[in-house]
Amino acid sequence: MAVTGLAPGAAGAAPPAAGAPTGRRGRVPVRTVVRQDPVTLALVVVVVAILVVLVVLPLATVLVRAVSGAGAEVLISMVTSAVNRKIILNTVILGVVVGLTGTVVGFLFAYAQARLKFRGKRLLHVIALIPIVSPPFAVATASITLFGRNGIISNQLLGQPWNIYGLPGLWLVLSISFFPVAYMNLLGMLRSLDPSMDEAAQSLGASKWHIFRTVTLPMLIPGFASSFLLLFVEAIADLANPLVLGGDFTVLASRAYIAVTGEYNVPAGSAYSLVLLLPAVTVFLVQRYWVAQRSTVSVTGKPSGRVELLRGFWGRVPLLTVVGLITALILTIYGTVVVGGFVQLLGVNNTPTLAHYQYLLSGIGNDAIIDTTLLALAAMPIAGVLGMLVAWLVVQRLRRGRGLLDFLGMLGLAVPGTVIGIGYAITFNTPLEIGGVRLMPALAGGGAVFGGAIAIVMVFVARSMPAGQRSGVAALQQIDPAIDEASTSLGASGLETFRRVTLPLIRPAFLAGLTYAFARSMTTVSPIIFITTPHTRIMTSQILSEVDAGRFGNAFAFCTMLIVIVLVVMGLLNLLIRLLPGATPAMATKEISA
Amino acid sequence: MTDLAAAEELAGTTAAGRLALADVTKVFGSNGEQVRAVDGVDLTIEPGEFVTLLGPSGCGKTTTLRMIAGFESPSSGRIVLDGSDMISVPPNRRPMAMVFQSYALFPHLTVRQNVAYGLNLRKLPAAQIEEEVSLALTSMNLLKLADRAPNQLSGGQQQRVALARAMVMKPKVLLFDEPLSNLDAKLREQMRLEIRRLQRRLGITSVYVTHDQSEAMAMSDRIIVMNGGRIEQAAPPDEIYRRPASVFVADFIGRANFLPATRVESTGAGTARVQVLGETVEVPAHPDALTADDVVLMVRPESITLTAAPAGGEIRGRHGKVVAAVFYGEHVEYELETETGNILVVASDPDVDAIFAEGADVSLQFASDRAWLLRQP
Repeated sequence: MAVTGLAPGAAGAAPPAAGAPTGRRGRVPVRTVVRQDPVTLALVVVVVAILVVLVVLPLATVLVRAVSGAGAEVLISMVTSAVNRKIILNTVILGVVVGLTGTVVGFLFAYAQARLKFRGKRLLHVIALIPIVSPPFAVATASITLFGRNGIISNQLLGQPWNIYGLPGLWLVLSISFFPVAYMNLLGMLRSLDPSMDEAAQSLGASKWHIFRTVTLPMLIPGFASSFLLLFVEAIADLANPLVLGGDFTVLASRAYIAVTGEYNVPAGSAYSLVLLLPAVTVFLVQRYWVAQRSTVSVTGKPSGRVELLRGFWGRVPLLTVVGLITALILTIYGTVVVGGFVQLLGVNNTPTLAHYQYLLSGIGNDAIIDTTLLALAAMPIAGVLGMLVAWLVVQRLRRGRGLLDFLGMLGLAVPGTVIGIGYAITFNTPLEIGGVRLMPALAGGGAVFGGAIAIVMVFVARSMPAGQRSGVAALQQIDPAIDEASTSLGASGLETFRRVTLPLIRPAFLAGLTYAFARSMTTVSPIIFITTPHTRIMTSQILSEVDAGRFGNAFAFCTMLIVIVLVVMGLLNLLIRLLPGATPAMATKEISA
Repeated sequence: MTDLAAAEELAGTTAAGRLALADVTKVFGSNGEQVRAVDGVDLTIEPGEFVTLLGPSGCGKTTTLRMIAGFESPSSGRIVLDGSDMISVPPNRRPMAMVFQSYALFPHLTVRQNVAYGLNLRKLPAAQIEEEVSLALTSMNLLKLADRAPNQLSGGQQQRVALARAMVMKPKVLLFDEPLSNLDAKLREQMRLEIRRLQRRLGITSVYVTHDQSEAMAMSDRIIVMNGGRIEQAAPPDEIYRRPASVFVADFIGRANFLPATRVESTGAGTARVQVLGETVEVPAHPDALTADDVVLMVRPESITLTAAPAGGEIRGRHGKVVAAVFYGEHVEYELETETGNILVVASDPDVDAIFAEGADVSLQFASDRAWLLRQP
């Protein structure tokens, strides 16, 4: 950012000429006016403007509505009304149980992956990541089919009329849906622990179990804390599963949804989501700026040795049994999703049929598939490039304001989807007019341009950009800052450096950002159901109506279709990036000269 | 190793720049703690001059270089190149090129593409780029490696590529940020001679940052010794060594003994009579030392000669005792105990049979015209 003259009249005042002696003591602190690379400055302005429109504006609208009139009444009733106090309590309980369970399961998977010796590691890794790319209603719907009152396992196999609706079902479904976040987090930490610490403890006479208790676990405490916090936020912000599985167990997200779509009370909805926003953003800040600084992971470069994998019976069998059972559960659930699409109504009428796919590939279902895929594809490059741009500005270009820009970028993910959805619905459903001049047409809602598609793409970008930003930041921190400076010194403007040097160097992170953006866009639901219109049908919101109507077969078929589309696009993207010219410099000779 | 003819052809008629720093100051940190990394640096570098910024880490030399390049903006002061103000020019528009400590080659480009990078940005005709890149590669003896990736090159080769990449831009000023510190000792000595030869032949104004004093001595027209953000002394290498401006400079460049001395009288132009080691001698003196109350006499270890003295003598005046004697082959280093503390003596090309043993009594003499009187800081 430009450093402008701070002292009055300092700007433009000629500093003392060369050779003219100046008394050092008597000098007024004059800030020299510095003009930095104008292209970079322009980029900063554009990026900030985009982020403001995408995230800050809707958020601000929600805040304003929440504290005005009807909203303020609801806010006060959070404390005074017993019903609302119960809703808040429910939300917190859900967040805590899911946070704890997900962290423990994630740790078991991560520890097995990093420290145990067994076959099929790669497969276990893939299975543990399935829930990340899975559509939101898949696990919930399959769980009802398996464990509901008439469930295949609960009733038909065990003869138990379990009630899955409410806390138990949400606990199960959310834990399975979100544990991969903890898994990835803890796996990364376990892998970056310096093995020489294990070796040091061992050479001092500690047993394996003792090392685990006194070295490994304490080192992972920041990882546990951050995993728990991430899962807590994901769980309380989730809207899709409480809608399907909540029953009488009302949480803030579902309450806000009912207020907006059932009671047409937007201020009340804003107020409920504001209550949701506070813990989410607090936890996000704590997780990001406090836990991250307490990391015990040593980043001194290459680890000095290799971890000795556990081979003994007691170290492996109990843990692998638990992990195996959970894996079996995950596979059963996704098996149910796939099979459920090909039979009439799984568990009730198991006659094979293609009717669901016929429905999907014709008419409304087909529209939804095409619309969703096209919009997600449109959002993908925008989110990918924007994420890399923010990362690059944050890591290599900005001094002042880098923290703020980083925060602005991550906000789209930190804010619960419900809040974003309500914000979009009330911010962009009317044209933006200043002084009678129409600056921007309505972007969201039935009467909007392009059938509200623009707002949906914007939501996709806002929600999926932060992941790319995060992987971009991580990748850029590995790159010598002198490379950026070398490009500048050779005459490249900010944009030229970004295009010719930065982007090629962080190609893997860029690819990760793109694939994540697509997967995230295809599966996002909580903000979408507030702004979807009859003209623009989105798969996730179609799945919700199928589940609501009890047409599980259609829902399963939709879910399977969605997973297939995501996997196909990811594969194509991988291929495309690999085939692009200039991936690696041409190598005329292979020999390495001395 | 380098092809000077090709380099000359490449450089063509590029005019070397005259670079002036006027009262340049850089303050880091916001309101809380402020660090004056660079504090009022005044410096003019003549066209074609090779100037080295030398000093301990944290002395502000790198910050100064980065301000010249434009990667840092001065808190105050002016940086002027050939009469035009550089402060308002962004780094990518300054007619300078920098060679980095880490080489900073673009890992995704070949050697040739790395060298062509800057010319491509200038949108020159392809044929011209091709020709100039080839000249640069030839001049750095890199033609055979042109299609390799940087990670297939040795450290020395990477440094050559970095140099070629900077030179091909025909900069008015070439900036070096400790470019040789990642190389092993032998290669470092070879490269510094090459860089010096090339620079002298092409006459490019160069600013070179290093903390290695022998590098500075070997390459520079002028050495700028910095300490605490300020210039301690700016002078040619021999003057820095023989006539240091302060005890700091004398101590930082080479090795020096500082003998406590008392000034008896100033004897005209730049000399003084001082009482040292119990005798009165006339020595050259720094102007500050002619008026200061407390002075020390700097004597370089190689300016001192030892002769055998009768055993058992009292340690007093010029009479001392050998505490340690270390034989290095081409020279011997003695540590002497004297009445003013321990003194380091270096005798080069020693006669192996005449090396003084530890505990030997010796008498020390030094050439008084090689001594240098300094103000005690």
